[in-house]
Amino acid sequence: MIDPITLTRWRGRLMFFAVAMALIFMRLLPLGGEAGQLPGPDWLVCIIFALMMRRPEFLPLWLLVVVLLLEDIFLMRPLGLWAALVILAAEVVRTRTILMRELSFLMEWAVIAALMLGMMLAYRLAYALALMPQVSFGYALVEVIWSIIAYPGVVMISRYVLALKKPALGEVDDYGRRF
Amino acid sequence: MAKNRMNDDDLTGPFRLILVGLTVLALMAVFVLWRIDGPRAERFRVEITEKFVPAWDWASGPVRWVSQVAVDFQSYARLYEQNQQLREELRQMKAWKEAALQLEQKNARLLDLNNVRLDPKLTHLTGVVLADSGSPFRQSVLINAGRRDGIRDGWAAMDGIGLVGRIAGVGDKTARVLLLTDNNSRVPVVMQPSGQRAILSGNNSAMPALEFVEDPSAISAGDLVVSSGDGGVFPAGLVVGKVVLSENKHLRVRLEADMGRLEFLRILRSHQLDPITNVGGIITSPPVQGPPAPSAADLSAARQSAVGAAP
Repeated sequence: MIDPITLTRWRGRLMFFAVAMALIFMRLLPLGGEAGQLPGPDWLVCIIFALMMRRPEFLPLWLLVVVLLLEDIFLMRPLGLWAALVILAAEVVRTRTILMRELSFLMEWAVIAALMLGMMLAYRLAYALALMPQVSFGYALVEVIWSIIAYPGVVMISRYVLALKKPALGEVDDYGRRF
Repeated sequence: MAKNRMNDDDLTGPFRLILVGLTVLALMAVFVLWRIDGPRAERFRVEITEKFVPAWDWASGPVRWVSQVAVDFQSYARLYEQNQQLREELRQMKAWKEAALQLEQKNARLLDLNNVRLDPKLTHLTGVVLADSGSPFRQSVLINAGRRDGIRDGWAAMDGIGLVGRIAGVGDKTARVLLLTDNNSRVPVVMQPSGQRAILSGNNSAMPALEFVEDPSAISAGDLVVSSGDGGVFPAGLVVGKVVLSENKHLRVRLEADMGRLEFLRILRSHQLDPITNVGGIITSPPVQGPPAPSAADLSAARQSAVGAAP
């Protein structure tokens, strides 16, 4: 018999994986994105942060590695660099889950915004150190700003459609276990 | 059974920290390896992409169809205007066609008179675009023809009218076309009336920049830009676009190809022209004519002066 917690957990992981693959698929569709168009938000990073704040058990380390490496491979990015940065930032959030629960949404948003900016800067720094040509700073900033704007939307969807909210202090789940 | 949702399968404390640290280090090592041994890493990427992307066809087909329908629907709305516009263009084109035919005949006559040896005609094969690069910072597309169709790295890709990019990365069934607009794209070109040579350098914008122009004042906006064939990458004379002067006086090129709607790409088979590196061995054996060979002392003196002149 399958333990109900394990079942929810694996259902969550499976859903995350499916959504991530769907996002990559949508981005690869040749719908005629032209050079010079402004980039949109990085939905996958928004989803990872939103889930990490609410249900870190849906995002085990190995799943993050698999999904992010696949994204690096398909989107023609340098292999491993973006994956390393996202995992670093996500783990920073994970080790502070208890602390993050106390934060109001505005504070959470500010923390995520700072992390996203830091990731972008580190990414560009690594590019510069590896002497690779990179896009202009303002252009990369647009993507980060879009991601920051998109974050509350992702949280809303996870909250009201998927009913995932941050557990309050001392709250127990349906099976009487502490979060 | 789990006692606490937080802690059951996650290792906590220092172990977890070490695990995360090692993972991040391993990923950075992958990045460094990619940077050092790019070709091998890219081959790995091509293999993975090739496994998955053509298999997505069943899903991407319907989505593309829906988006096409949406675009077509928008264009139905202004059917009448379009019809008028097309008639107008057709009238102009007829005049051009007449002129082109006359020129072609004249050209053929002149070539015949001069006994000019022409290149064997370029042959091509056509591929369908399967996927985008997926990121706004990279400009490339994946097409459904690869090594089994004889495609090689470096061949030129065109849409119906102009140069689009070149093959960079060939899998068995797919190949990646690096577009002219990508940050990494550099193509030697020549401006048509002035004969100025330059490098067309992609910068992730719709209009790539012209670099290393000898005499920018000799170029005016609207000049035709064609590939120059320097460096043996592309055949010479492929239409690239027209020169545009941006507001800060930089020279840019408006590409002739419709980069927003790449659907079918024409891959030009470049015939391997062996470069001529030595004189024919039969007529003259090792060159005996010319200045006397420099002595060892002369050589070392020349080397020293060259070192001194270097900045």
